[in-house]
Amino acid sequence: MTSVGAPAPTPLTAAAPPRGSRDSRGSWIPTPAMISTRFMELRRRRGLMIALIVVNIGIPTVFLLIRLLAHAIAPRSYGPAGGYDIYTNIVAGLMYVFGFIIAATLGCTAGSVDLTEGMFRHLVVTGRSRLALYLARIPAGLAIVVPLVAIGFTVVCAVCVLAAPKTLNYDGANVPAGLSLSGLEHWAADHPNQVVCNFSYDQPISTNVSCGNGPGGPGGGVTIRGPAPSGAQPALTPAKTLAVRIAASDYADYRTHFLYPSDSLMVKSGLWIELEAVVGFIVGLGLASLMGQRTVPVILLIVLELILTPILSMHRIPHLSNLQRSIVGLATAHLEPGGLPLAFSGGGGPGGHAASLLLPESTTVAVSVIIAWLVVWTALGAWRMMTRDA
Amino acid sequence: MSTTLAEPTGRPDTEGTWAVETHGLTKRFGNNVAVNGVELLVPRGCAFGYLGPNGAGKTTLIRVLLGLTHADAGTMSLLGQPVPKHRDVALARVGAIVDEPRFHGHLTGRQNLQILAAAREAAAKDRIGPSLERVGMSHRADDRVSKYSMGMRQRLGVAACLIGDPELLILDEPMNGLDPAGMHEMRDMILSLVAEGRTVVLSSHLLDEVERTCDAVAIVDRGNVIRQGPISELLAGASVVLQVECSEPDRARSLLGASGVRADIEVSESGLGITLPAGASRDIIAEANRVLVEGGISVYRLQEIQASLESWFLQVTSRLGATE
Repeated sequence: MTSVGAPAPTPLTAAAPPRGSRDSRGSWIPTPAMISTRFMELRRRRGLMIALIVVNIGIPTVFLLIRLLAHAIAPRSYGPAGGYDIYTNIVAGLMYVFGFIIAATLGCTAGSVDLTEGMFRHLVVTGRSRLALYLARIPAGLAIVVPLVAIGFTVVCAVCVLAAPKTLNYDGANVPAGLSLSGLEHWAADHPNQVVCNFSYDQPISTNVSCGNGPGGPGGGVTIRGPAPSGAQPALTPAKTLAVRIAASDYADYRTHFLYPSDSLMVKSGLWIELEAVVGFIVGLGLASLMGQRTVPVILLIVLELILTPILSMHRIPHLSNLQRSIVGLATAHLEPGGLPLAFSGGGGPGGHAASLLLPESTTVAVSVIIAWLVVWTALGAWRMMTRDA
Repeated sequence: MSTTLAEPTGRPDTEGTWAVETHGLTKRFGNNVAVNGVELLVPRGCAFGYLGPNGAGKTTLIRVLLGLTHADAGTMSLLGQPVPKHRDVALARVGAIVDEPRFHGHLTGRQNLQILAAAREAAAKDRIGPSLERVGMSHRADDRVSKYSMGMRQRLGVAACLIGDPELLILDEPMNGLDPAGMHEMRDMILSLVAEGRTVVLSSHLLDEVERTCDAVAIVDRGNVIRQGPISELLAGASVVLQVECSEPDRARSLLGASGVRADIEVSESGLGITLPAGASRDIIAEANRVLVEGGISVYRLQEIQASLESWFLQVTSRLGATE
């Protein structure tokens, strides 16, 4: 049995500040020590951390790993693991949604555990500003969420770039990716048959080109006859001239096809999913603090993200358009980088087409809605923490 | 009714003369008045017991004092600082356990204290080790709190108080969950804290422990403080019981009754039980003895039974139907 009443080996008063001196604990600004210990408290929740890592890093990694193995074993049956299409679908269909959910779960945990585990009372008795206690959770939680999302995203980017297809299959023709307009025209001039026989073109064609494997059918030759198009360059044959014209007309569509995502797209989409994660964390923190518990807020936010937002983003409800626009998921969807399929749509076409399905909303309104959600939920959570009986 | 407490001396006026001072403090929960106009004065540098039956409002008063919940009326100050106005300044020098001490179970005791130290002044971090050592938790400080017993969590709660180097400790039922040895050690530690010049307010329903530990007490019942003052003064106002072993108890009772001694007299097998009114002179004891001896009664033993805090507590609280 240890002795509770044993004399103190080290006098407790040795390091005491002068009594009665005013310190900064009334300030609403959290100290670095408060943030770091809050970070430690969250990080040491082993079960939660494992769940966050599995959802945010594990699922995309396993998905890509299976594709890598399948392609390595049977490359003709299974396409490359990476590439542009894989990237856009994972980012918009998986990481965007899961990033929000894990961040919201962590936010709800950070916003409620002090209360449910009995530490809130100890913290209030220190005399520290309750607002500071609340605000300390924000950088601490984000210090977990942001790197987690970044790691998962980096894995996806790395695989999608390094394991991308070697050539771009455009309309059935193997075309180098990332060419400029003149580059595509030059390539078309060098490969007139592939262009004329495969590229889509909605104008009458009257040039003699033999499409041995073209749309005429397997093994059947297709001969397209006709006069040379007007304005053709004298140095080129009519077939080449036609190929250059077709390439030029298809360039707008061609440039939406990439072997792998561009650096610009990766940066933009990385910031976009980080934004969604930050929103999820802040909203979760505020909602859990307001309700004083974790489970119900997590369920509410999952319902919001997985059910309500997709429904509201795809359907226009008469007279409630402005209410729909106030949903944060729609606002972040409006900020989605071009080139990604529409969030909540489960993948599909490129963003340029899918974005038109969203309820019209200006970027200014979308940004305002996001800021309003961050501010309002932070204010509500802080207010409840400051007024709650401990 | 309250007994006047001697004001401590040697304190700067700016810090006030009382460790805890409340006037008309009231806290309601709907129609239920949990704290009813409490006037409480706790002297500095002593162990002060705050006693009351379950549901009397002990914990509610502590929660109000610490700013865990707001008061509906009245004023209060801790260590001379009005709260809630200067709550941060006051609580900087206060350590408290309220209800059962609970911590993050997935963290170790030391990590929990690190969280609390971070919310206090920078120097609090350096006091974690000494505080754990003082409460005898050094060897388990790096175990998860979820593996702690109730008594160990109580000790950790006291350590959490000590990292602030508090001038005032408010301990709500600190003996809960402790075995007899642990209670003894806790009592010693409280006394050692008082010896260091700190003030300890001890809320408890364990009267025996409070009597052994505290210098002064307040009795609370149904939200009201019905008595407060030094224990010795309060007990001096209690009835005095004389236990008399003698021959012929029935005749002895008749003799005392005829002599005019004002007392309640009960006959038992071995003798008499004489209850003297509060404040009775010791001369009455000598007079009773003289009457018995002169009446030919053989007196084998005559003993004054000191009133205990428990018996006094039961006298003044509503549990025995007191009219307070």
